[in-house]
Amino acid sequence: MDDDEAIARSLAGDLTAYEALVARYSALAHRTAAMLGAADEAEDVVQEAFVKAYRALASFRRGSPFRPWLLRIVANETHNLTRSRGRRNGLAARLGAVADPVAPDDPEGAAVAGDRRARLLEAVRALPDGERDAVVCRYFLQLSEAETAEVLGRPVGTVKSSTHRGLARLREEVGGELA
Amino acid sequence: MSSREPHDDDRGDRGDRDDFGDSDAFGDLEAELFALGDALDVPAPPPADVAAAVRARLAATPASRVTRTPGTWRRRRWAVVAAVVLAVAALTAATPQGRAAVAQILRYAGIELRLGGAPTTGTTTPGGPTPTSLPGERAVTLAEARAMVRFPVRTPAALGAPDTVTVADGGRVVSMLWPGGLRLDQFDGTISPYLWKQLGPPFPEQVHARGIDALWIGGAHPLGYIKREDGTSVPLRQAAPTLIWENGGVGHRLEGAGDKDRAARIAASLR
Repeated sequence: MDDDEAIARSLAGDLTAYEALVARYSALAHRTAAMLGAADEAEDVVQEAFVKAYRALASFRRGSPFRPWLLRIVANETHNLTRSRGRRNGLAARLGAVADPVAPDDPEGAAVAGDRRARLLEAVRALPDGERDAVVCRYFLQLSEAETAEVLGRPVGTVKSSTHRGLARLREEVGGELA
Repeated sequence: MSSREPHDDDRGDRGDRDDFGDSDAFGDLEAELFALGDALDVPAPPPADVAAAVRARLAATPASRVTRTPGTWRRRRWAVVAAVVLAVAALTAATPQGRAAVAQILRYAGIELRLGGAPTTGTTTPGGPTPTSLPGERAVTLAEARAMVRFPVRTPAALGAPDTVTVADGGRVVSMLWPGGLRLDQFDGTISPYLWKQLGPPFPEQVHARGIDALWIGGAHPLGYIKREDGTSVPLRQAAPTLIWENGGVGHRLEGAGDKDRAARIAASLR
């Protein structure tokens, strides 16, 4: 069952079809909420977003991609939450213990690369909100510029310039080459 | 399905890095950011649980607006999820279906027992699956482990301090290891199965001893975990006889204790 079929069946009141759609996008929705500032309330945000998305499904333009439409709702819910509690948590994610392909037999080199990665993450966390959101969407969520624009509710040109400014700031913070 | 590629046809969009006039200047940084994103772990509940919870909410309040009170809602929500999951588990256990080679699936203490697939003794492949670590598993101190997970971590008084303590999968599992292959896993996994075991005859044996209600799996058997993202089964290794039980919402498995009496004695000594 592809997205379009699941949406058509959900619109007809088939909750099982919608359940399949929720399961399909659940991990990405959590990732989006956590990375845009919902922190430990990502679970509540995501559930609320899926409930709202179901109720708003009639307004979804059939044939357009579901992913950015849904993530826009997730981003809005995250924004509502952070506004209501008056503060915004940064990028909630942590570096998993990944084997670094750069230096499999070189623990020292791997440690240096890991350190650089941690510094890069801190630098992303420290970006101004608009730049961080753009960088998170483009690189951590791997959305296109058009999708990022839809999710964040900003013109594509703004996404381009925010991303560019963010990259420049990151380059300044962590330097050029891999140490 | 990976969380990051819901649509194959959207993947091409990722390549539009040339939109920047000076893209070459940032090419390596962009590659680093993609790699960093791939290494980032965001904890999320199993998709099936989220789907069941959303469905329960939609079914309970078909048209009215749902008001949100975070604390109480969270508790009620998990009650709903637990009820749904229990119903599904009971159904699955009663009607053997689903995985082709498996006669029956039992879910117990956060572990999915796939019965009838392969004999318990012996290995399915020569030497069994290559031993693999749990996702993101790393060594920590006991105090760090306690700070990193959401459930209370206990230690067995019947054994000395563990040689090694690890935390895996974003704080979902705490493992303690002693010499001789003795291993205790404690995991936040009672809502939906986290580990699976492929079992043939002899079937698991119920153990009621020393205040413990548990299942004893008396033979070596393939063990794996179930990915949170998409429910995929990932083989880990061939496991030694194991006692599994649940206590206060925490799933437990004790492997390598030898016989079931010793396993039950160690289990009963958790403090």
